[in-house]
Amino acid sequence: MSGLRQGWGKPLAAIAAFAAAYLAVGLIVQNQYYQLMLTLVLVWAIMGLSWNVFSGYSGLISFGHASFFGLGAYTVTLLLVKLDITPWIGIPIGMVVGMIAGVVIGYPTFRLRGHYFALAMLAYPLALLYIFEWLGYQEVSLPMKREAPAAFMQFADHRAYVAIALALLVAAMLVSLKVERSRFGLSLNALKQNEAAAEAAGIDTLAWKLKAIMISGAMAAAAGGFYAVVLLIVTPVTVFGMLTSAQALIVTLFGGVATVWGPVIGSLILIPLAEILHAELGHRIPGIQGVVFGLAIVLVILLAPEGVLPRIRDRFARRIAPGAAPVPVDVPVAASAAERRVPTGEVVLRVLNLSRAFGGLRAVQDVSFEVRKGEVLGIIGPNGAGKTTLFNLLNGFIRPDAGEVTFEGERLLGLKPNRICRRGIGRTFQIMRPFPRMTVLDNVLVGAFVAEADDDRAVAAARQALSRAGLAARADSAASSLTTVELREMELARALASRPKLLLLDETLAGLGSQEIDRLLATINALASEGLTIVIIEHTMQAMVRLADRFVVLDHGAVLARGKPDEVTRDPKVIEAYLGRKWMAHAPH
Amino acid sequence: MLRIEGLNVAYGGLKALVDVSISVGEGKFVAIVGPNGAGKTTLFKAISGVVPPLAGRITFDGKDLLALPAARRAHLGIAHVPEGRQMFKTLTVLENLEMGAVPQRGQAEWARNLEQIFTLFPVLSERRNQPAGTLSGGEQQMLAIGRGLASSPRLLMLDEPSMGLAPVLADQIFNRIEEIHRQAGVTVLLVEQRVAEALGSCDYGYVLESGRLVLEGRHETLLADERVKRAYLGM
Amino acid sequence: MNDFAVVLENVLQVLTAGLLVGSIYALMCVGLGLIFGVMRVINFAQGEFLMLGMYATLYAFTGLNLGVMLGSYIGPIVGALIAGVVLYFAGLLMHRYLLMRVTGIRVVGSEGEGHYPQLILTLGVSLVVANAGLIFFGSMPQTVRTPLSTTAWEIGPFIGDHVSIFLNKARSVAFLVSVAIAVALYRFIGRTRIGKTLRAAADNPEAATYMGIDVDRAHSIAFALGCAITAVAGGLVATYYPFQPYVGLDFVIIMYAGVVLGGMGSIVGAFWGGLTIGLVQQLSTLVLPVQLQNAAIFVVFLLIVLIRPEGLFGRNVERT
Repeated sequence: MSGLRQGWGKPLAAIAAFAAAYLAVGLIVQNQYYQLMLTLVLVWAIMGLSWNVFSGYSGLISFGHASFFGLGAYTVTLLLVKLDITPWIGIPIGMVVGMIAGVVIGYPTFRLRGHYFALAMLAYPLALLYIFEWLGYQEVSLPMKREAPAAFMQFADHRAYVAIALALLVAAMLVSLKVERSRFGLSLNALKQNEAAAEAAGIDTLAWKLKAIMISGAMAAAAGGFYAVVLLIVTPVTVFGMLTSAQALIVTLFGGVATVWGPVIGSLILIPLAEILHAELGHRIPGIQGVVFGLAIVLVILLAPEGVLPRIRDRFARRIAPGAAPVPVDVPVAASAAERRVPTGEVVLRVLNLSRAFGGLRAVQDVSFEVRKGEVLGIIGPNGAGKTTLFNLLNGFIRPDAGEVTFEGERLLGLKPNRICRRGIGRTFQIMRPFPRMTVLDNVLVGAFVAEADDDRAVAAARQALSRAGLAARADSAASSLTTVELREMELARALASRPKLLLLDETLAGLGSQEIDRLLATINALASEGLTIVIIEHTMQAMVRLADRFVVLDHGAVLARGKPDEVTRDPKVIEAYLGRKWMAHAPH
Repeated sequence: MLRIEGLNVAYGGLKALVDVSISVGEGKFVAIVGPNGAGKTTLFKAISGVVPPLAGRITFDGKDLLALPAARRAHLGIAHVPEGRQMFKTLTVLENLEMGAVPQRGQAEWARNLEQIFTLFPVLSERRNQPAGTLSGGEQQMLAIGRGLASSPRLLMLDEPSMGLAPVLADQIFNRIEEIHRQAGVTVLLVEQRVAEALGSCDYGYVLESGRLVLEGRHETLLADERVKRAYLGM
Repeated sequence: MNDFAVVLENVLQVLTAGLLVGSIYALMCVGLGLIFGVMRVINFAQGEFLMLGMYATLYAFTGLNLGVMLGSYIGPIVGALIAGVVLYFAGLLMHRYLLMRVTGIRVVGSEGEGHYPQLILTLGVSLVVANAGLIFFGSMPQTVRTPLSTTAWEIGPFIGDHVSIFLNKARSVAFLVSVAIAVALYRFIGRTRIGKTLRAAADNPEAATYMGIDVDRAHSIAFALGCAITAVAGGLVATYYPFQPYVGLDFVIIMYAGVVLGGMGSIVGAFWGGLTIGLVQQLSTLVLPVQLQNAAIFVVFLLIVLIRPEGLFGRNVERT
């Protein structure tokens, strides 16, 4: 089931029930120390949710969420100390600061991948730590406001803090839920599983990541600001320190990443454990908290990498796998290329002198061709001829060293893949790039977001694309359960869902048996008869003869020949490139 | 010598090989052909142990290969020349060959093998102190084959040795492979998409499509087969 | 003339200090760089191995009475080497029982998601070790006390008695040892058979497996060796720098910065990167307040990562 189509009733009831129960406990408990602990559990749960909204859904692991937490804490503290502004206003201002910090940190850092991203995120809070020390804020206390304590969020009855923290947590959970159940969450999930495919399907990955880190930054700053109010003292090490970032990550991973309840459960288990051990043994065994968190995360990674919550959930409800039996598909009779359509002659895509080299290898050299509206153009060539590189140039994955590409009269070069997709160019991949841990429908839905601004209509568009690709019956199966040909159809549907004017198909027939090829050819031919313009790459010519109106033959990155199928197949240069001299020697001409 | 029975492999939930059975006799030249993505490379990876099979048996000289960790298999005399060359790019040509000679037989016969490799591919001798990453595609392919030979293999597995090479170079590589097979009596298992050459050189061939074997036979039988002609030879 | 001499003396003094400190940073960077270069694993716990190296050196030095037996010059060096051996085995154990379960040939080829489990695992180890250190070693700052840390050799005076440079003896000894170990490692990696298999496993683990190279074993050696080298560097730092169990965090960013600066994956680059960080740190004292020294390193580090992630010394090895 797609998250987009789930009801809100159950999760809202669960959150309400949890909040009521927690509040009841919070009101009953008299001991101030336990009240503090109840409050801290909630603070770290918010911190976990903040981390989860960004890292959990997007897969970009942040080791630096202390930046936002610390900025929130210091904003609230300094506003109160210097300007006498109450935390009631300070916390919202802190959230704005956290949001801005999200953009300032995210924008440059999102260009980085993998290790570099992790290391850079680690450096931000530590740099802030030293800067705040240097600024002279080693230890800042929040002044007591005895004349109007409630106006400054200072309460003699500490149960008030539990209530406020609970309100903040519920808000954070609702935001998380909203993210999870909208195209926001699905887009993040898509880019987590395959960023290139998400871009090619029209997802503006940078924009989504920025939005996610802004929301995340605001949530963490709220947690930090409130933390300062509760503890009444702020030091750079406690708010910007490594342990702060680590705790956010650890409660989430422990409870269950990319779930709304995971961070809450992780926090409910780990924070009291660490606090109690610290209180009981802290004087004899200093640092026991760090040991607890460290061990918790080591054990989770080794024993239950998906977290505690999914483990428990699996145990309780052994999910019944949806019947994965392949559904027979009616194979329409393949219309041959000749009998179906007349290209209008209007040029939609013009490629002029395109070149790209990798190191010494000239992958694409001086390639020019045109694609006319309504035609099927086949680009063929042996492995390593530069076909996929050509597609990567066309859809914006890589930039050319020289040359020009225009689509419907407008230049495409320099546009990001998602922009090019929005202009109306969809593509599939030779090495298939499904989002394996999503349903088939969700995979296609990611493509449909470009065409439909409304989530419900996007679902309808995705279903329609699936049936055009001949895969409607498998909509609710997991993408990882599909066969090769079904995966090809799913990628086709994902590209179709964006309502492209031009479709780039990269070796869609690769690795298929002859019956499967017939099935796909029929589908593609049907699309062509509807008037869709198609460019298809293949490395074998046989199937293509039944599909393409025209061929462009590539060899070693350059155009070797072009023309109608029968002309090209008789070209001696083409025969040599394909079959080798040896074959020519004993081939019957 | 090499016997594969009922091999099934899945990649991330995707069936890559279904019930594949193949046998390669000592001293033979066996080719496996088929379209891109048919599972040929996966088959090789399963033999070498970097991809675990779901079911099936692989034996080499009667020994159960699946019981051995991947790195031990080379020591039995299996040399895998992988698709796409897979150079040790920062190592020099000579160091690449040394790495090929890690198995004991390779170490014992190092000097002789090196001479043989340099005779087969003189260009490698000229570039012996150059990092492998700076070689051209064809030279890298030669080095990949040479690296395979450096272990004094009994079974040489070649995955798409012609990939990305100009036809002239590919022909050259094929000639060398035939030479190695004839002169040294090395058993060869070849995966190729240049169906004509591959079937032309081998004793016995298999056709793999969508992870299943659809056809097998002696090379003259396969070359004469209507389906092969139509699907692969463009006739 | 006099003003000029003062400035010149300051600059020269800072440069030599940067060179001495930088060489030790370079050695710890080489340890981290070796691990990353071969395994593509960022070890968050590298700072903790440095810290353990310091304590191991301290206990070897005091426990075996090395200062008396071998003197102030040789004693700490032997202590640091003993620490290296101890931490080599600690590294082997950590790889065998923890890292190997989430790394290895399956993960090494992929950039991205597959790496996070090991990153998070080493983060957990780092938390456990640092805090366990607090439990076992206490929070009192310690040093490996020899007379060398407070004495210096004077070079000069020159330019008419105006300028002279002081070389702290402890740092100078550490400098010599660092360079010697780095050179030895360089030759080991470059010339020996094991060194070559490590490089082969780093370059292309899949192909290495086809050659019969046990990639897990190569990783094990690289990880343990990387831990040992950083521990030796820690032992050398311990002779002039007071330390406590959280000291790892002070140095871990220096190591990351050096390794990134040198181009991740390059061991030679890591050496030059570390050296550069030492120079930057010392030079920053000319213009920045002392508290911002570390912040300066972070800023340099962030700038490098953002502007030139392949590193200043990184050569772009051709990609497939």
